[in-house]
Amino acid sequence: MRLLDRISRRPWIWSWFAAFLAWFATIVTGGASTLGLSQAALTFAAFSIIVGIGQMFVITLGPGNIDLSVPSTMTLAGTVALKLMDVDNAMILPGLMIAVLIGIAVGVFNYALIKALRIPPIIATLSMSFIIQSAAIWTNRGLRIKPPSVLADFTTATTLGVPNVSLVALVISVCAWFLLEKTIYGRWISAIGQSMPAARMAGIPVDGTRFVTYLFCAVLAALAGYLLACFSGGAALNMGTEYLLMSIAVVVLGGTAVAGGDSNVPGIWGASLFMFLVVSMLNTYGLGAGIRLIMTGLIIISVIMLAGGRQPGAR
Amino acid sequence: MTFRKMLLASVAIACAAIPASALADTSGKKIALSNNYAGNSWRQAMLTSWEKVTGEAVKAGVVAAADAFTTAENQATEQAAQIQNMILQGYDAIVLNAASPTALNGAVKEACDAGITVVSFDGIVTEPCAWRIAVDFKEMGRSQVEYLSKKLPNGGNLLEIRGLAGVFVDDEISAGIHEGVKQFPQFKIVGSVHGDWAQDVAQKAVAGVLPSLPEVIGVVTQGGDGYGAAQAIAAAKRPMPVIVMGNREDELKWWKEQKDANGYETMSVSIAPGVSTLAFWVAQQILDGKEVKKDLVVPFLRIDQDNLEQNLANTQAGGVANVEYTQADAIKVIESAK
Repeated sequence: MRLLDRISRRPWIWSWFAAFLAWFATIVTGGASTLGLSQAALTFAAFSIIVGIGQMFVITLGPGNIDLSVPSTMTLAGTVALKLMDVDNAMILPGLMIAVLIGIAVGVFNYALIKALRIPPIIATLSMSFIIQSAAIWTNRGLRIKPPSVLADFTTATTLGVPNVSLVALVISVCAWFLLEKTIYGRWISAIGQSMPAARMAGIPVDGTRFVTYLFCAVLAALAGYLLACFSGGAALNMGTEYLLMSIAVVVLGGTAVAGGDSNVPGIWGASLFMFLVVSMLNTYGLGAGIRLIMTGLIIISVIMLAGGRQPGAR
Repeated sequence: MTFRKMLLASVAIACAAIPASALADTSGKKIALSNNYAGNSWRQAMLTSWEKVTGEAVKAGVVAAADAFTTAENQATEQAAQIQNMILQGYDAIVLNAASPTALNGAVKEACDAGITVVSFDGIVTEPCAWRIAVDFKEMGRSQVEYLSKKLPNGGNLLEIRGLAGVFVDDEISAGIHEGVKQFPQFKIVGSVHGDWAQDVAQKAVAGVLPSLPEVIGVVTQGGDGYGAAQAIAAAKRPMPVIVMGNREDELKWWKEQKDANGYETMSVSIAPGVSTLAFWVAQQILDGKEVKKDLVVPFLRIDQDNLEQNLANTQAGGVANVEYTQADAIKVIESAK
């Protein structure tokens, strides 16, 4: 009983529970094949997980911190990297490098706007996203170049039945978990999120920490864009669009405090799987688009209500 | 000869030769394109076509200016403000791809009241004072099922990929598809997902619904989603159904690869992005004083097995199979509507 009690206090347990329910319902009542559905869910959740982790770090920094440039960063990184690689297997690493560099550049500019010009993050990253999106349009006007064959095979294949992209997401998640729970940097961002003035008084390098966090988020978005472009057989100008709300939704659903200062990585997984599975479930039932959207909204609200019902002080 | 007589004479000559009349009468006119979205390959092709055709027209002196404006956020309020700016800037005609069929009516009415010709296309507006160049989207949906009925006379299960929920075009194409299924009852739609006219969204949606579907023999689409569907079906290691394509270059390329590898057969249908140039010429004709009916229909562009290679060769990499219209095409469309 005490174990159950302890588990139910974990903020991430509800997103996992919801994901499992949706998975179960789709298979039992919708008649989906277990392996097919699980593989599809892991594959597509991987992209939300990667951008979600970046967004989670930013949100942990406290009220008002958010990165709205995630979708356009994905698009720019995907288009530029694929253009550079130009179907050449030897160019895979340079392509990855350029994607990461784009992420770094976006992160630097984002934080420059926030810090030097004192623009609130929501406005700074939104205006940045217009600039990045225009840059993506300007670079190749939506030209769809196929990814190098090795990379295309890698992103679409499975290892021992587990999709490769979800393994990449797993590695990133473990690193993020380590950063967050085991390093001083993780303590710092939680402290800043709980109270910025207090963190400053305590001698935490607030600006440096925030800068690194925005950088980290942009790099993860760029990486997700690179992987997604290779996975779906080419970059498209609108490929990042749905990941704006998705990246925020998985953070909130996963039990990370929206007010900042308290985050957790496992919740991102549960929430990402859930977001994919709930759409699959409602699609399987063949409901109309209107009902589908209403249901998605209602289900998300109920999960957040359940996850939010934790006792104060409990982690 | 007085100036007035000279003018009359020139008009008379102009009437005799239509292309010359265009030169004479609209050379001082300014036309603006109000576009609500630029974030996909179709819209990019649409803007490129506009630039190319109107650039030549401006150079030739047919019109004084033809500037393109795109709103950043794809929202009706923003586009309404944009139209109001165009009124203030003194454009003579506005060619409009609207974010909403009804929400812009107020702004469009203001433009009409200011004496501006408004021609809407693709995303049309319902305001009666504006012209509409529409595609018969219903027929586009129905013809897909008709094609499948010839190709697969025994019928079977279909998967429908829809566009962006809540958009007029999505409702129309889907209504056409369902009409087609009624007409050919050997087909049954077993699943329907929203692909938002984007390959990656379609891929995700299809991959999610596929595990719970019985064998599917055909996929009816709206364009921009066929390649994503093919990827998802291939990843699930299912037999490849007949996927109706939507003229995108990646779709046509995939089709060509399959055709060469195993004789895969399908067809592809969509509206050509160059319809923006048709709207431009129609606006020019109206400014020229031509009687033009308020509702015009533009034919959609269909690609079949035998003209696939030719269309693929003409399609820009990453773009959409396209037709750019000439003034003569516009006159033909106007004549046929009478």
